[in-house]
Amino acid sequence: MNKVRILGIGSPSGDDQAGWLVADALSAMGVDACIDRLDRPGANLIPLLEDTAWAILIDAMQSGSPIGDIRRFGTETWPAYSQGLSSHGLGVIDALSLARELGSLPSRIDLYGIEIGPVAPGTTAGDDIQAAARQLARHIAADLAASR
Amino acid sequence: MSEQKRTVSIHVPVLARVEGEGALDLRIDDGAITQLRLRIFEPPRFFEKFLEGRHYTEIPDMVARICGICPVAYQVTAAQALEQLFGVELDPWARAMRRVFYCGEWIQSHSLHIHLLAAPDFFDCSSAIELAKIAPDEVRRGLRIQALGNELMELFGARSVHPVGVRIGGFHGAPPLARIREIREKLRAALPEAEALIRWAASIHVSQDDQAFVSVAMRHPVDYAIERGLIGVSDGLRIEADAFDAHFAEQHQAHSTALFSSYHGEPYLVGPLARLNLNHDRLPEQVKALLAETGLVLPSRNLFHSLVARAVEILLALHEALCLLDAYRVPDSPWVPVSPRAGIATGCTEAPRGLLWHRYEMDDDGRVVNARIVPPTSQNQARIEEDLRLSLLNFGLDRPDDALRLHCEKVIRNYDPCISCATHFLRMNVERG
Repeated sequence: MNKVRILGIGSPSGDDQAGWLVADALSAMGVDACIDRLDRPGANLIPLLEDTAWAILIDAMQSGSPIGDIRRFGTETWPAYSQGLSSHGLGVIDALSLARELGSLPSRIDLYGIEIGPVAPGTTAGDDIQAAARQLARHIAADLAASR
Repeated sequence: MSEQKRTVSIHVPVLARVEGEGALDLRIDDGAITQLRLRIFEPPRFFEKFLEGRHYTEIPDMVARICGICPVAYQVTAAQALEQLFGVELDPWARAMRRVFYCGEWIQSHSLHIHLLAAPDFFDCSSAIELAKIAPDEVRRGLRIQALGNELMELFGARSVHPVGVRIGGFHGAPPLARIREIREKLRAALPEAEALIRWAASIHVSQDDQAFVSVAMRHPVDYAIERGLIGVSDGLRIEADAFDAHFAEQHQAHSTALFSSYHGEPYLVGPLARLNLNHDRLPEQVKALLAETGLVLPSRNLFHSLVARAVEILLALHEALCLLDAYRVPDSPWVPVSPRAGIATGCTEAPRGLLWHRYEMDDDGRVVNARIVPPTSQNQARIEEDLRLSLLNFGLDRPDDALRLHCEKVIRNYDPCISCATHFLRMNVERG
C-alpha cells in the first residue's frame, strides 16, 4: 500500500477556499496522488483515510497569525485544537482523533493550515491566500518528489 | 436522604451552531424546579422568507440547504407537496426511488446520532473518541453503516450533503444498473451488522423512566411510514397533511424566538420512538422478530429507548432499500413533465428526527407566494422541556451540579435535535442560595 491522498478542505466562501486552491494547484502540476476537494467532511473523512499510506490535508485556520501564514501540525498538537464532537460540526481534528483511536490513520499524515481573514460568501480568495496556496502546493510537490 | 435544600441556577447562555441557537435555563429553589426553559432559535424560519418569489424548480435545491444532516427530508417533502398541487403522477420508479433515497438519509443520520452523539452518554464518555477506546468495533461498525447511508444518498442525489438529485416530477437522473448491483451487495452485507447493532443498542443500560406523552408519526396502511401516509396520533387521530392546522398549533413563547408546537394544547413527541410506538406492526417480519428478541415493550414510555428505536429503523431502512432496489430498472425518463398551477400545497414526511410539514402558497407562474415549514425540532421543543422537568425529578434534584447538567444534556441529545451539536458545548453558571 503506497497510496498518497491529498485532501483540500474548504468552502466556496472567500479565503476559506485556501485548501481547495492548494488541491487545484497540485492537480494542475500533475502530481501523482489522489486529490480531492472536500467541504466539511465530518466523519466521512475517516473512510477516506483507509488504504492510504500518506495523507496530506490542507485546511483554512484562524489563529491570529498574519493572513497567508502556513503552519504544519504534528499529531501531538491535535488535541489542543479539538472543539468536541457534534452532529453538525464534527471538525477535521475530531475526525482525525477518532480515526487515530480506531487505528485508521495512515502511517504518515501531514496537516497544513493556511491563516485566513474574515470570510464572506460569494467572494474570491484574497491575494495573500492565493500566493500562500501556490507556495504550499510547491512545497508539497517537492516533498512528494523527494520521497519517490 | 439529605434534608439540606439548595438553590441552583444553571444557565446555558448561548448554544450557537449551524442549524440553530439555543439556551437552557434551569433554576432549583428549595428542592423544587422553579424555572426550566429550553430556548431554541430555528434558522429554518429564515428559509421560509427566502423562498418567497422563487420558482418551483428552485425549491428542492433551496430547502436541501436547511439541514446538512437531513436534506432529503426537506427536498422530498417539498417536492411531494408541490407535485400533489400540480396534479403530477410520479412514475412508480420515481416513487420507489424517493423512498430508497430517504432510507439512505435515515441510515446515515441515525448511525451518526447513535454512535457519535447518544452512545457516549450511556458509557460515561464525553465523546465518540472516548467511546472508541472502549468500544472500537462498535464505533467502526457505526461509521461503516453511516458511510453506506451516505453512499445511498449520493447515488440519487449526486452528493450526500445538500444533494441535488430531486426535481419536481421525479429525479434529474437515474443511476445505471451496475451501480445499483454494487450497492445492493453492500446493503445485503450490512444486514447482519445492523442486526448486531440492534442487539448492542438494546443491551445498553438506560435509566428507567416512565412518562406519559402523545406520540405523533405518519401512518401508512401497509408500509412503515417514511415518505407517505396520514399523520397519526397515539390517541387514534388520523388526518391528511392539509388538516395539520386544525389539530396542531405553533405559538411563540416569551422566552424564545422559536415556535413551540402543541397538539390540542399539549406537548407531543415526534421522531423514531414515536414512529416505533405507532408503527411497530408495520415492520418487516425479520425486524419484528429481532425486536421481540430484545424484549423492548411497545409502546414505550421511556424516551431513552429512542436509541434502540433508531437502530431498529436502520435495519428497516436497509431492508426497504434492498427490497425496492431488487426490482430496479433504468426508466425511460427519471422525471415526468410538470405544469404549475396556483393554490396551496401541503405535505409531510418523516425526517430522521420526526414529522416534517410543509405548506406553500403558489401563484399561476409556479412561484412561491409564501411558505411555512414546521421542522421536527420545534415540534419536540415543548416535549423536551416537559421531559427535562420529569426526568430531573426522577433523577434527583439533590445531585451535584455537574451531574444535573450532564443529565440535561443527555435528555436533550436523546431527541437528536438540530441543536445537538451545540449541546456539547454547554457552559453553565451556578449560583447557590
